Amino acid sequence: MSILWLSLGFGLVTASILALSSVGLSLQFGVTNYINFAYGAFLSLGMLLTWTLTRPLHLPFWLGAALTIPICGLVAVVVDRVVLEPFVRRGGNLLYLLIVTFGLSLILDNIMQAAWGVGFFRFAVGQGADLHLGPFQFTVAQLVIIGVAAAVMVGVHLLLTRTRLGKAMRAMSDNPALARVSGIDTKRVTMSTWFLSGCLAGAAGIALALNIVSFQTTSGDDLLFVVFAAVILGGIGQTYGAMLGALVIGVVTEVSAVYVGSAYKSDVAFLILVVVLLVRPQGLIPALGKA
Amino acid sequence: MSPILVYLATLVVYFFIYNIFGFGLNIQFGYAGILDFAFITFMAVGGYLYGAAALPHETPGSQIYYVLGLSWSFPLALLLGILGAGAVGALVGLIALKRLRSDYLAIVTLASGTLIYGVIGNFTRLFDGWEGLMGVPQPFTGALNLNANTFVLFFVLVSGVIMAILWFFANRLYRSPLGRAMRAVREDIDVAEAYGKNAFKLRMTAMVIGCIYAGIGGALTIAFITALAPAGWSTGETFVIWALLLIGGRGNNLGAVVGSFLVAVLFTEATRYLPAIGGNPNLIPDLRNIVIGVLLIVTLRFRPQGLVPEPKTNFFAVPLTSRVLRRVRHEEVVGA
Repeated sequence: MSILWLSLGFGLVTASILALSSVGLSLQFGVTNYINFAYGAFLSLGMLLTWTLTRPLHLPFWLGAALTIPICGLVAVVVDRVVLEPFVRRGGNLLYLLIVTFGLSLILDNIMQAAWGVGFFRFAVGQGADLHLGPFQFTVAQLVIIGVAAAVMVGVHLLLTRTRLGKAMRAMSDNPALARVSGIDTKRVTMSTWFLSGCLAGAAGIALALNIVSFQTTSGDDLLFVVFAAVILGGIGQTYGAMLGALVIGVVTEVSAVYVGSAYKSDVAFLILVVVLLVRPQGLIPALGKA
Repeated sequence: MSPILVYLATLVVYFFIYNIFGFGLNIQFGYAGILDFAFITFMAVGGYLYGAAALPHETPGSQIYYVLGLSWSFPLALLLGILGAGAVGALVGLIALKRLRSDYLAIVTLASGTLIYGVIGNFTRLFDGWEGLMGVPQPFTGALNLNANTFVLFFVLVSGVIMAILWFFANRLYRSPLGRAMRAVREDIDVAEAYGKNAFKLRMTAMVIGCIYAGIGGALTIAFITALAPAGWSTGETFVIWALLLIGGRGNNLGAVVGSFLVAVLFTEATRYLPAIGGNPNLIPDLRNIVIGVLLIVTLRFRPQGLVPEPKTNFFAVPLTSRVLRRVRHEEVVGA
C-alpha cells in the first residue's frame, strides 16, 4: 500500500510539471490555432539557461531561475515574430506552419547542442531532505515544484478571468476575426501569448530538471509527447482542460509505473493518447469547432 | 580500381536510396497531404527486418542479440522488410488518419516514432538495442564472386533498377484516378468527401505505399552499409527527407530527385569532410542540421512550391479519346 501512496505522490509532482508545460502549450494553441512542435526545445532552454546562470556564473538558484523564465518568454516572442508570423500572415495551409515548427525544433535543438554539448548536467541545488506528509513522501524540491505549479495555475486562472489581456486571449481563442473587429489588438495579444507560453515552458523545464536531477539538451523533447497527451486529453486549446489532462496523465503514468516498470511510463502516456484520439478526440473538455 | 570511382559509386547509391525516400514521402505528403513526422521509423522497420532475416542465426554467448536470423536471400528478406514497414505504417495510420485534423496526425506520427525508437533501443533482444545490427551479409557477393569494390559498383545497378521501378510506379500513381483522388483529399478533404471519396481509405493507401517505399529504402541501406543502429534514424534524419522533398518541390517526383541530390548528397557529403572545429566532433553535424532547417524554412517562406514545382493541372489537357467528345469540348471551350 505504501508504494502506491508513494507513487501517487510522484504522480502529483509529474502532474505539476505537466500542468506548467501543457498550460503554456494550450494557451498558445488556443490563440494561434496551430501546434508548436518546437515547444520541447523551450523546456530544454529553461533548464540549460538556469544551469549556465547558476553553475558557471555562480548566481543563486532562485535568481538564475527568475532570470531564465522571462528570457525564455522573450526567445519565444522573437521566434514567433521572425519565423512564424510571416507564415501566419500569408495564411493558407496550416500544414506548412506545422512543418516550420518541426524544423524550428531541429534548429533550436542543434543550436543548444552546439552551445552546451552532449553531456549530462545537474543543478547545484540538490533535491533537499525527504519530508513525510501523512502517507506521502516528498523531497523539498518536489514540494516547491507542486507549490509553484499550484500558484501558477491560480495565476493563469486570474489572468484569464480578471484581466483585459486574459479576456482578449479568450476572445481570440473563440473567434479571431470577431476579436479583431471588436477592437482587440490581436498582434499585441499574440505577442503576449507567446511570451507567456515561453515563460511557462521555461518554468516547466526548470521544474523537470529539478525532478529528474540529471538532464541533457534533449530532455525537453523527451517530455514533449507526454505534454501532447495531456493537452489532447484535456481538450486541445482548453486551458482548464490542459490542467485536468496534466493531473490525469501525471498520476496515471506514475501509478502505472508500479505495475509495468518505470521504463514504460511514456508508453502509458502514448496509450492514453491513442485511446483518447480513437474514443473521445475532442478531449474531456471539448472546445467548439477545434477538434 | 581507383578509390575515387568507388567513392563516387557509393554516393550514387546514397543518391538512389534518398530518391526512394523522397518518392515515398512525396506520395504521403505531396499526393495525400499526410504530415508524417516519423518517416525514418518506417525506413528503420524495413531495414531491421531485412537485416535480421538476412543475418545467420545469432551465436549463443556472443552478447549480440537479434530475432529471426534466417540467412535469407536478398529478395526474400526485402519482401519481409516491405511487409513489415507496410504493416507498421498501416497500424500508425489506423490511429492517426481517423481524425481529420492534420496536427493530430503529426502528433501521432511523431509520438509513434519516439515510441518505436525507445522500444527498439531498450529491447536488446529485438535488434540488439542501441548497438544495432552489424555484419549483415552483403547480397550477391557469393553468387557473383564480388569483392568489396565490385560490390559497390554492382549495388549501383541494383539500387538504380529498384529506384527506377519505384519512380515509374510513383509517376503512374500520380496520374492515375487513385492519385487524382489523393490530391483532391490533399487540397480539400471536405470537398473530396462530399464528392463521395473515402478520405480515410485514400490517405491510408498513400500512407502504406509511402511506408513501403521507406521500407525498401531501409532494406537497401542496411544491405549496402551492412549495419543499422538507432543513432542512424533519429528524428533529425526524418527532417533531412522532409527538407529534400520541400526544397526540391513537393508533389513532383523530379523535385524529390533534385532535392535528394542537393540536400542529401551534395550538401551532406560536402560537409562530411570538414575538419572538426575547436575539437568538438559534434559541431559540424549540429551546424549542418541547423543549416538544413534554415534552408527549409527559407524555402517555405520564399518559394513554397520548391525548386521544381508541381505542374499545374490543366483540366482541358485531359485527353478525351472520343472524337465526338473532343469536338464537343472544343465547341464549349472556344465557342466555335
